[in-house]
Amino acid sequence: MLLFPVILFPFLLLLLYFIVRPRPVNIPIKNRHVFITGGSSGIGLALAHQAASQGARVSLLARSLSKLEEAKQSIRLSSGVDVSIFAADVRDHDAVQKAINDAGPIDVLVVNQGVFVPQELEKQGLDEVKFMIDVNLMGSFNVIKAVLPLMKERKDRGPTSIALMSSQAGQVGVYGYTAYSASKFGLRGLAEALQQEVIADNIHVSLIFPPDTDTPGFEQESKVRPELTTILAGSSGSMKADEVAKKALDGIKSGSFIVPCNFEGQMLAIATAGLSPQRSFLMAFIEVAFIGIFRLVALFFQWNWYGSIEQWHAKKKEK
Amino acid sequence: MVLFALLLLLLLYFIVRPRPVTIPIKNRHVFITGGSIGIGLAIAKQAASEGARISLLARSLDKLEEAKQSIRQAYQVDVAIFAADVRDYDTVQSAIKEAGPIDVLVVNHGVYAIQELENQGLDVVKFMIDVNLTGSFNVIKAALPLMKDRKDKEPASIALMSSMAGQVGIYGFAAYSATKFGLRGLAESLQQEVIEDNIHVSIIFPPVTETPGIVEARKNMPELTKIIVGSGGMKAEEIGKITVNGIKSGSFGIPCNFLGQTFAIATAGVSPQRSFLMASLEVVFAGLSRFGGLLFQWNLYGTIEQWHAQKKQA
Repeated sequence: MLLFPVILFPFLLLLLYFIVRPRPVNIPIKNRHVFITGGSSGIGLALAHQAASQGARVSLLARSLSKLEEAKQSIRLSSGVDVSIFAADVRDHDAVQKAINDAGPIDVLVVNQGVFVPQELEKQGLDEVKFMIDVNLMGSFNVIKAVLPLMKERKDRGPTSIALMSSQAGQVGVYGYTAYSASKFGLRGLAEALQQEVIADNIHVSLIFPPDTDTPGFEQESKVRPELTTILAGSSGSMKADEVAKKALDGIKSGSFIVPCNFEGQMLAIATAGLSPQRSFLMAFIEVAFIGIFRLVALFFQWNWYGSIEQWHAKKKEK
Repeated sequence: MVLFALLLLLLLYFIVRPRPVTIPIKNRHVFITGGSIGIGLAIAKQAASEGARISLLARSLDKLEEAKQSIRQAYQVDVAIFAADVRDYDTVQSAIKEAGPIDVLVVNHGVYAIQELENQGLDVVKFMIDVNLTGSFNVIKAALPLMKDRKDKEPASIALMSSMAGQVGIYGFAAYSATKFGLRGLAESLQQEVIEDNIHVSIIFPPVTETPGIVEARKNMPELTKIIVGSGGMKAEEIGKITVNGIKSGSFGIPCNFLGQTFAIATAGVSPQRSFLMASLEVVFAGLSRFGGLLFQWNLYGTIEQWHAQKKQA
């Protein structure tokens, strides 16, 4: 009985070594052009700092010119590197296209911009729903579409990357996050299809899944978060922007399709591996071996969450 | 081994949330968006045959009249029809108010254009996002307050029409898959927000279905997509039946065929599962499904590689 896994596991590992697609790849960033949307604050800015200190040429796109100037200053101070800045709203395709043309050929595109306003759909204004979908999802299409032709025609045929900033809310939908989760789940559908469309051009798609991260955006969000959302989301830890940026960059450089940022994120990634591609045969093996257990854990989470929801409503009724 | 299985079943029996529920549709009000043709019309016919009171919402009054006629002829039942574009919240809301309290909301409308993102116009991308995703938010938001305030506190349902392209992204489906994956994020969150009001969310994952929509989409579909997706499809009537049965059983995820069921197990992720039997299957077969998923990707990327190689030779 015990012999069975001992024989099976090496066989499975070997099999997975041969079948994982797309094949593993390494994406260098030193001396290459990294273009980051939403790059003036939060995770985007942290990414910019780290990419610059690793020798990349960095461009930032964001709405506010003054925040971009501050970001540029802070990167110059910390790593002596000059970044290019472009003010544009990702909802405006023409402005995005112009910025991208000005920036020049891009090797690593980090589609990181995002807005989030947590609230029960019943209470949330449709203008806020539309805002999140327009910026997080449609905006990402605008950016990718502007960059793709130039990326496909690049002279240097080295591996390039399109990285999309999702969220743990893009792996599981939670109370208060209908619109935000919709936009972040959407990025995965986009990414899975896009990877198949661009693999022949040596372009590699990555999806990053941070937990709650210490950023100006999160500070804003916390002020309006429904109580129940805070209770439920508390199950996963929070991280600093620098830590997320490091995980994100490592993931981009290793060409991983799904990039979790902490241990809970890794478990979530395995549970939600679904039908996504996996380039690492080791990771594939871990997914196959552990996804069943993590589905069980996920069911426990739902048991816990729905229990909390029930309790919270019961308390409210008593008052 | 058997003991383990029994223990697992017992454990899951107690922990599955939300708890199982049955949603009656006889004599209840079923409101279907995109209800004039295709899957929406099939759902309407199935629900009408089971004694539900039906309302249809769609853009074209002509198509709605035809649908109304065809249901009257087949089932001697009169359905209410409302012409509105789901992108226009105000007209959706007035239609829903006119229709009266809704017991089963079927958010079924959808548009699709299948093409490489590189070749697809952003206006087409925007169209799909606005109709399939934002439009669904419009419909749900319009119906929610009345559903929450309903006098009859029987279980109600909000059902969202996704797609197998909402379980896996495929070449040519970047925008469409984005909208259909998005519906799942919406559904998982929404269920937690409405469970207290005895409202139950379902999301349906049909494969390619023979509808007027797919005929149109096939005209411009990339060759590689056709190779990957194949030429078959299910009948709209079958999807209609499976949808209504799934809604009645309050299931969260509703696959429509065997392949869909394996996709559903593979992509169960952190979604809720009310059936302890289904939950056990998910836990036991998740590993095998993931392995199947990896084989699927191996085959998929192989096909893509071959196709590009052939093109280069030509």
